[in-house]
Amino acid sequence: MDLVTVNGLSKRYGGIVALSEATFSARAGEVHALLGENGAGKSTFIQILSGAVQHDGGSILVDGQDYRPANPDAAQARGIAAVFQELSLIPDLSVEQNIWFRHEPRTWLGTVNRTEMRRKTLALLEKYNFPALRPDQELRRLTLAERQIVEIAKGLAKDPRILILDEATSALPAREAEWLLNLTRQLAAEGRLVIFISHRMAEVRAIADRLTIFRNGSTVAAHEADAVSDNEIVTQMIGRHLDRLYPERVSTATDRIALGVKGFSSGSRLSGVDFALREGEVLGVGGLQGHGQRELFQALFGATKASGSIELWGKPVSIGNPRQALTGKDGIALVPEDRRGQGLLLTKSVRENLTLSVIKRFTENGLLSRQKEAALVKEMVDFLRIKAGTSEQLAGTLSGGNQQKVIFGKMLLTQARVLLLYDPTRGVDVGTKGEIFQLMRDLAAKGYAILFHSSDMSELVHVADRVLVMRNGRIAATLEGDHISEEEILRAAMLETRAA
Amino acid sequence: MSAFLARNRLIVLAYAGMVVLLLVTALFSPGFLSVSNMRSTVVLAAFVGIVALGQTFVIIGGGIDLSVPWVLNSAAIIMALLCGGQDLPLVWVMPLLLAGGAFIGFINGIGVAQFGVPPIIMTLATNVILQGLILVLTGGSPTPSAPALIQFLSVGRLGGFPVIALIWLALTLVATLLLSKAAFGRHLYALGTSATVAEFSGVPTARTTILTYVISGLTAAFAGMLLTGYSGQAYLGMGDAYLFTSIAAVAIGGASILGGSGHYLGTVAGAMVLTILTGLLPALNLSSGALLIVYGAVILLTVSIGSETFAGLGGRLRRKEG
Repeated sequence: MDLVTVNGLSKRYGGIVALSEATFSARAGEVHALLGENGAGKSTFIQILSGAVQHDGGSILVDGQDYRPANPDAAQARGIAAVFQELSLIPDLSVEQNIWFRHEPRTWLGTVNRTEMRRKTLALLEKYNFPALRPDQELRRLTLAERQIVEIAKGLAKDPRILILDEATSALPAREAEWLLNLTRQLAAEGRLVIFISHRMAEVRAIADRLTIFRNGSTVAAHEADAVSDNEIVTQMIGRHLDRLYPERVSTATDRIALGVKGFSSGSRLSGVDFALREGEVLGVGGLQGHGQRELFQALFGATKASGSIELWGKPVSIGNPRQALTGKDGIALVPEDRRGQGLLLTKSVRENLTLSVIKRFTENGLLSRQKEAALVKEMVDFLRIKAGTSEQLAGTLSGGNQQKVIFGKMLLTQARVLLLYDPTRGVDVGTKGEIFQLMRDLAAKGYAILFHSSDMSELVHVADRVLVMRNGRIAATLEGDHISEEEILRAAMLETRAA
Repeated sequence: MSAFLARNRLIVLAYAGMVVLLLVTALFSPGFLSVSNMRSTVVLAAFVGIVALGQTFVIIGGGIDLSVPWVLNSAAIIMALLCGGQDLPLVWVMPLLLAGGAFIGFINGIGVAQFGVPPIIMTLATNVILQGLILVLTGGSPTPSAPALIQFLSVGRLGGFPVIALIWLALTLVATLLLSKAAFGRHLYALGTSATVAEFSGVPTARTTILTYVISGLTAAFAGMLLTGYSGQAYLGMGDAYLFTSIAAVAIGGASILGGSGHYLGTVAGAMVLTILTGLLPALNLSSGALLIVYGAVILLTVSIGSETFAGLGGRLRRKEG
């Protein structure tokens, strides 16, 4: 019998239909992938399942009994826990305090039993073979990837029968993502149901028993995973045939150096980096996570202090802060790692976000010109095909792919022609991913110079003209042409680590 | 315009509250809506409104200015001392004290923006230091009376309108231009919404922060001088009430106390609400102690209904119950 059966599920937000007549069924002991573009209704669906929001119509049966949780606590009482993309952890608490938050083991006095909490934490981490985590470490000291792992531990701490993983691998580096995939199989083998959301087809292929595809708020199809091809899945997801994800790679690089970096160092994570990014080139930056990629991007943008020399279009420059980086047509613009924390004002409109970095472009005699601003906004909304009701819609209410487009628009309006893209496709649906890659090649053809980091190695392989592989804060190798492959990137990234 | 209303629901709410409060007060004390009484209400509200102008900028930017009372006191007392009841010295005393207020704001801003001192600590410290300086300077002795020109500015009339109301109107225009029509306003809202995003977007965050405190220093000093004219002389502690009222006016006006939203137009309604309230309560025949308790409670209630911070909390609670 199915553990979860959903029929005719509907949810409206004001005039917007988020889910309409969605169906879903899944068995205990399986990994069930949920696929769909951003905005297809997946998020709403799992928010309903996890008790974060309530549905308007339709029914959910769990174990054959009606299920309508009023809040996440009620959902957990029925054995359903979710690990969301937007992390719910508290930066001031330790790893273990976060894992057991509101479910702490108690002493007879009602105070928190720290010994017992430590024991349970270690037992949990060991049982599921978690990557190294110190239970007493303060959460704010952890990287995004480590936080994601804590979030997963927090979900598992509730011993759920149904665990929902919402793009949990998107923040993880390769090794940890691999661990998570194995974990889902282990959980399924224990008789639990894992509902798995990912935009990475290879992962879904590796672990899913069955999959359900959402589009425009409805269920399009459900398949046994081995009875359907990638092409069929993608076609059903986007409702049209996608020729291919990656655009054709035609090198448009000239001999002119757009960004020349020499002896570039920052803190202990980046030491003596040299490279040259050419006009019209997409230069990939790869390597294992935590080997200086983040520091390189942040320091080039002036967000952290650095030493060494930078030449932009042949002129030596010093960049002390992002404002200096963004100044003028010869500037540098960044698509930051943390879309919600660094890239967007979530409670402000699409318009205000798009034009935030270029207020000067529509200021006359010290006063803002709304007409000129509207023209700039329209230019970007049309060019990037940003799907928003109006330009006054709040950025926080857009889907992940459209939020990323707003950040791209904001960057392009600055007229900077050296672009730093840090993992620009993270948590973005497959249709938008294709658009972003195409955009990158188009911009390169127009003479933009693009430094591109991705946590998904295959993106580097397929999109970049050359790839810099980083190891211990240095450039370990520069791969070109036929030498760019996932194996070569990994080899360069790990060689020294193995020797040491 | 309708877009403005939709985006600024809380400001509209503040004005609606103001009208309701006016009608209720008129019910309890029939003479309240008379021209002369409205005139004096607007004059009193103007003092709150002018101090709260700077406070509005600081709060939208994500900070708070607790140095307002003693910037106000200092400007009032030093002006009275330097002028000695004469109009002529005002020519240099007024610019000097405005510059002094701006300088205190600049110090606050530098502390917050460059040295990362939390705004509460930074501005509280300057407040106490100013208090000490003034006590050393005056020895607590009474000051000469206010110059006639200052009295004209605060209680005089021009074409039937209180002069200070006209000053307030002009300042409201300037503040609205800054918030809605200047790059500074955009920078300010971005800063208050997320300092990190603002920094990553090329907003001059330090300069913007410092400027808000400078404006607050300016308006507090200006209000101090005007207030001397209203009461006829300067005295220690005359600005104390304006700490609470300036912040409450901003909050009642619909700004989030956490920054990133709000408008001075809302603060204007907030200043009016607070002043009408002080007119209503005596009409209820309460003792002065009970008066303060009711005053505080009503403000708390108004702010919790109006402010976005609490609206969010209320929403969360309701969802839990549902």
